[in-house]
Amino acid sequence: MAIAREAEPVGSLTEVREFGLDREDLLGIYRHLLTTRGVEERGHILYKQGKIPGSFYTGRGNEAASVGVATAMGPDDVGTPLHRDMGVHIVRGVEPWRIFAQFMGRLDGPTKGKDGNVHMADDRLGLIAMVSHLPAMLPVAVGCALAFRIREEKRVAVGWFGEGASARGDTHESMNLAGIRRLPVVFVCDNNQWAYSTPTHLEYATEHVADRAKAYGFEGVVVDGTDVLAVYREARRAIEKARAGGGPTLIECLTLRMEGHAVHDDAFYVPKEMFEEWAKRDPLERYRSWLRENADFADEEEDEIRGEVKKLLNDAIKRADESPLPDASTLLEGVFATPEDLDTPHHK
Amino acid sequence: MAEKTYLQAISDGLRQEMRRDKRVYVIGEDVGVYGGAFKVTQGFQEEFGPWRVIDAPLAETAIVGSCTGAAMMGMRPVAEMQFADFVSCAWDHLVTVAAKQRYRAGTPVPIVVRCPSGGGFSGGPFHSQNPESSFAHIPGLKVVCPATPEDAKGLLVSAIEDPNPVLYFEHKHLYRRIKADVPDERYTTPFGEARIHREGEDVTLVTWGAMVFTAAEAAEKVAEEDGVSTEIVDLRTIVPWDRKAVLASTEKTSKAIVLHEDTLTGGFGGEIAATIAEEAFEHLDAPVKRIAAPDTPVPFSPPLEKAFLPQVEDVVAGLREIAAY
Amino acid sequence: MATGTAVDVVMPQMGVSVSEGTITKWVKSEGEPIEADETLLEISTDKVDTEVPSPASGVVQQIIVPEGETVAVGTKLAVIAPPGAEAPAAPVPAEAPPEPATQEAAAQAEAGSSGEGGAPTAPASAPAPAPAAEEVPAAPPSPEPAAEAPAPADGQAEGARFVSPVVARIAAEHGVDVSQVPGTGRGGRVTKKDILGFVESGQAAPAPAAPEAPPRPAEAPAQPAPAAPAPAPAPEPRAGEKVEPMSAMRRGIAEHMRRSLDTAAHVTSSIEVDMTRVAAIRAKLKKEYQEAYGVNPTYLAFVARAAVETLKDYPWVNGELRGDSIVTRSFVNVGFAVELADGKGLIVPVVKNAETLNLLGLAKAIADVARRARDKELLPDDVQGGTFSITNPGGYGTFHGTPVISQPQAAILGTYAVVKRPWVVQDELGEDVIAIRSIMNLTLTYDHRLVDGALAGRFLRDLRERLQTWGETDY
Repeated sequence: MAIAREAEPVGSLTEVREFGLDREDLLGIYRHLLTTRGVEERGHILYKQGKIPGSFYTGRGNEAASVGVATAMGPDDVGTPLHRDMGVHIVRGVEPWRIFAQFMGRLDGPTKGKDGNVHMADDRLGLIAMVSHLPAMLPVAVGCALAFRIREEKRVAVGWFGEGASARGDTHESMNLAGIRRLPVVFVCDNNQWAYSTPTHLEYATEHVADRAKAYGFEGVVVDGTDVLAVYREARRAIEKARAGGGPTLIECLTLRMEGHAVHDDAFYVPKEMFEEWAKRDPLERYRSWLRENADFADEEEDEIRGEVKKLLNDAIKRADESPLPDASTLLEGVFATPEDLDTPHHK
Repeated sequence: MAEKTYLQAISDGLRQEMRRDKRVYVIGEDVGVYGGAFKVTQGFQEEFGPWRVIDAPLAETAIVGSCTGAAMMGMRPVAEMQFADFVSCAWDHLVTVAAKQRYRAGTPVPIVVRCPSGGGFSGGPFHSQNPESSFAHIPGLKVVCPATPEDAKGLLVSAIEDPNPVLYFEHKHLYRRIKADVPDERYTTPFGEARIHREGEDVTLVTWGAMVFTAAEAAEKVAEEDGVSTEIVDLRTIVPWDRKAVLASTEKTSKAIVLHEDTLTGGFGGEIAATIAEEAFEHLDAPVKRIAAPDTPVPFSPPLEKAFLPQVEDVVAGLREIAAY
Repeated sequence: MATGTAVDVVMPQMGVSVSEGTITKWVKSEGEPIEADETLLEISTDKVDTEVPSPASGVVQQIIVPEGETVAVGTKLAVIAPPGAEAPAAPVPAEAPPEPATQEAAAQAEAGSSGEGGAPTAPASAPAPAPAAEEVPAAPPSPEPAAEAPAPADGQAEGARFVSPVVARIAAEHGVDVSQVPGTGRGGRVTKKDILGFVESGQAAPAPAAPEAPPRPAEAPAQPAPAAPAPAPAPEPRAGEKVEPMSAMRRGIAEHMRRSLDTAAHVTSSIEVDMTRVAAIRAKLKKEYQEAYGVNPTYLAFVARAAVETLKDYPWVNGELRGDSIVTRSFVNVGFAVELADGKGLIVPVVKNAETLNLLGLAKAIADVARRARDKELLPDDVQGGTFSITNPGGYGTFHGTPVISQPQAAILGTYAVVKRPWVVQDELGEDVIAIRSIMNLTLTYDHRLVDGALAGRFLRDLRERLQTWGETDY
């Protein structure tokens, strides 16, 4: 039996306006959703063309979850998005050409070729680069929140993890510390139901991951991760609660990972019916229909946005392709930080 | 300048930094109300309050991991592991996130993890270890092992100032046993600069931490009884380590011994010995010898622990062997 | 001491570095009775040919390895059965190599034979049992031979033979034969302090270099040269021969010459220099220098002066390969090969900072070191630190040679006899005419690892130019 609150879907435009989104914001969300999916689709093509070394991960099916949470974050808030959370980078303003450069191991990627795929972040945009070990970024997010609390700043940290990573001790230690200290942190579980090939019932025994929140002394919410507006509403509530000193919240965004773990994985272990079922709830299509039904979303507007996104991505790939590969002589650079590295806004 | 114990020097250095820099805070198990298992932070919470002297739950990953996040947000966290042994619970975080963040993502992680280390008091397998070499192997981490009160303070201040994750191994056996004059004012002790603890001509003895004093006793004995002159090089920091000083001393004496309390295989002494062999080969007049604990867990019962830890007699025997070679 | 059970005979280890041996002869055949310590077979190894005594009394039950075959140390060769046993028995399973005790005895045997006073290997023809030290009791070792073995104190000779890296380096730098240095280290090993004391005491033979390359011996040594060869026992003189021990200096020269040829890629280029101008100037200066300074401005001084000047433009010729690095310097220390008075050796004293000396200064410096070399007044410091060498065999009228480079330098200049030769020159009208000129051949022998042929050629060209255009006021 569920302990966490199960969030309602979002209804009318009036309701949406109540939690602070105007029509421009709504169109912006659509643009971000399109861009998010577009970056990953194009990346997938580049990968198959041999332009991206290593492996390649997408967050297809998770676009609404990542865009919804990121849209609810304030400009000074920080987050630790994962490999299914491309939408967070897009919403926070990471330029797609730098993402493609990152994919391709070029010098203009945020990691300058030192790391690959979505292991990247622009800390000027309040993002912290993930590592492969999951959920290793949760204690980091808690630490950000701790810094805000020590300095009594009205800022919030958002930490992402997956339902697979919920099985690891870091999740427990992080939530426990955050609960004890009522830190301004929001935990977001991207529950896409498959940790590589492992289904949820082999990762946890409760009905929801969010059911655990009560054990740590804060609220847990399960939300339909394909409903961008519902995700936004729940994230905003949680973030503002944290900002006001109300402590952490665990938001579980339920989705289905619509592709393999990475592009080399055909996900044969996922029942076909499951894909068919969730394909009907494609987050982009779902939001597009909502806009048409509730916000007078016209064909011309849609075409214009699609055209803009297409051009953005075309230009981005071209620019990224012009970015040089790192010189092997930079191999040894940056193992250790220098005092000059601390010359950033965070360290003032 | 006043005479202080090694423990007081650490405590004073930390307090001075916290008074000077509001970004510095302490987090660890029992560091607040109790003042730390070894009382390094005694009286700190009264002075700095519960949000800068943070009693953490028993969760090393969350303690050190949160330090990383806070450091990225501009703080200068100092985490205390109750015993160096428990840093294994935070090993994943240190190695996976903290060590690599600057290199791959450009984000510096200025944190200090204080690790009370070492044996000699029947602490048994889980309260006596010296895990410095496992961190020395990880690019991106700095490792310091002060031996004297003066260095304990200066290296702690340097560690807090350093823009990288620093593992600060403070030897428990030195806490109250070693006393010396420590300057009152703030000062830093540079990383990567060894200290010549004793000058000598015949044999170079490279060591750090508590073994500096074991080495000194042994050197005194062989000087008196055998007329052997030992030069003791106290590395002070393991990453970075002062190759120049070690090589210069080895070139002078042509004989080198590396001594550490950590176990032999994979201990940092192997790295030093290999470097001497590579870079000072033509200056060697004897094999490079390692003296270290045997490859066992640290045993509990006194006769076993005594047999485990390198003793003055072991070092004397090693010095005699190499001097006579 | 008859054996109660069958005893194996194994290939002994005749020295720590020996890994195999060849059966040259089985003295006993299968079924024959044999006493302990009686010769059973003869073997030949890299180091020594010897007889192998039986480890036990009994009967040669089985011979496993036939004559002519080469097998690894420790290989079972034969089985000695108790007296009266029937031969041959069922094949005996192969067993482990000899026990450590046996190997130690072997090592001691080797040490004894090569150490001081150790008896030379008994000739194979000698019928008597070889001295115990030469023998290696096969397993099980009987206590008697071991006790009788003139084994030095634990590891003595082994220690004495080992040369540590730093001692090897100092020995090479100072041309010291380590075997001549008394050792105080473990087992008599020569320590760094020992060799430094030896060098400081002035006993070291100065670094020899730069004689003409000795003709390669017709018969190359059969053995690979061991790192630190122990002095071999003096050979018996054959009819009409006289055998005398090598002096430390000769041994030092031999070692250095060999090492230089093994180290550097020697190439020699020659050039003919018209020394007529120099000869005229020299004739003028000679009187002045002699009267005022007591110094003879030799052709060598002129050549040295010109060479030092030319080296400024060719730092690699004055350089050194040190490991993977190329060392060049802002100074020139010139070594001059000087033959000793008794003709039994030569040394290469060094004129330091030759770039600061003019012709007169250089002439004086050369004369000074040559005299002190012949009078044995050189200090260790005088033979160190050379960056370039000059050898002058021309005094005997030779016109060409291929000297050996003094390590670790990059080149050596050879100067030869100045002879008058018919020479094609141009007269005032630019016509070719034949004139009588004073011609000297110069050779540059260089280490091709560092110096290329073209560079050497340019160096010689510039050196010639300098000598041929020597001005009245050039010093």
